[in-house]
Amino acid sequence: MSENKDQSRQVDPKLLEFLVCPLTHGTLRYDREAQELISDQAKLAYPIRDGIPIMLPYEARQLDDD
Amino acid sequence: MATDSIESNGGKTASFGFQDVAPEEKPSLVQGVFESVAGRYDLMNDLMSGGVHRLWKSALIDRLKPRPSMHLLDVAGGTGDIAFRFMEAGGGKVSVCDLTEGMVRVGRDRAIDHGILSKVDWLVGDAQGLPLADRSVDAYTIAFGLRNVTDIDAALAEARRVLKPGGHFLCLEFSHVVLPVLDDIYDTYSFRVLPALGQAVANDRESYQYLVESIRMFPDQKTLAAKMADAGLARADWQNLSGGIAAIHSGWRV
Repeated sequence: MSENKDQSRQVDPKLLEFLVCPLTHGTLRYDREAQELISDQAKLAYPIRDGIPIMLPYEARQLDDD
Repeated sequence: MATDSIESNGGKTASFGFQDVAPEEKPSLVQGVFESVAGRYDLMNDLMSGGVHRLWKSALIDRLKPRPSMHLLDVAGGTGDIAFRFMEAGGGKVSVCDLTEGMVRVGRDRAIDHGILSKVDWLVGDAQGLPLADRSVDAYTIAFGLRNVTDIDAALAEARRVLKPGGHFLCLEFSHVVLPVLDDIYDTYSFRVLPALGQAVANDRESYQYLVESIRMFPDQKTLAAKMADAGLARADWQNLSGGIAAIHSGWRV
């Protein structure tokens, strides 16, 4: 996958108007660097793979308490 | 049969085709089937239904009546079949949500070919725990997806949750044949011809065997309409297609 193609597959910010954490239904933060959608309430980071948000709790990264 | 899984699960099992499995096992088994068939899924649908699935999907879009202000959530529509038809029929925006990443990738790559990438969001998510806010979409469709869901009642409740008041729920699914002669022919076709076809075309008899069995385990027209009503979807009704081989169920969030 080329760099250019990856950039064209960025997540549309409008998505965050209705996309929520499936566990808490809380809003998500978009971490552009890490390509993750972060649910602060659930302490989960949902991966965005190749521009596709993977909104499955069992695919998400656990965030450490701090 | 399958008493081990019943004991380990406090009596609860889910159907995976004709097998009983623990409910928590079903999603990964279903994902396995669809990862396995993703690349040839649309070709197989054409072969399996003799192309009739195209007419059924058109009937679904007719019932939906797309308009430019309409935001559709299409669940289990990974390869984009409903999404593309909706956009071509004048729909405004569609979010596709499918449990299987491989299916979503096929759809997203097709969207690039169609040149309509900006109007379609592609998401991986579970029909029983949708990643959408309450009251966020005008319409919800699920075509040939609901029978693969572990807990149909949970999926219907989620559909109602994400629909705006006045929003339309539509389900296209294989159903129960209502014509006496057709049901014998269909039995022979689905249990003998289809798995062989799956073997020949996709080299994957087991996945297509699952598809056939899962159709038989799915609730009939009246039972599904009752489940919709229980989930708070109003004016639940259905329309049989091809003698009940498939049916479109319709309901509304009021």
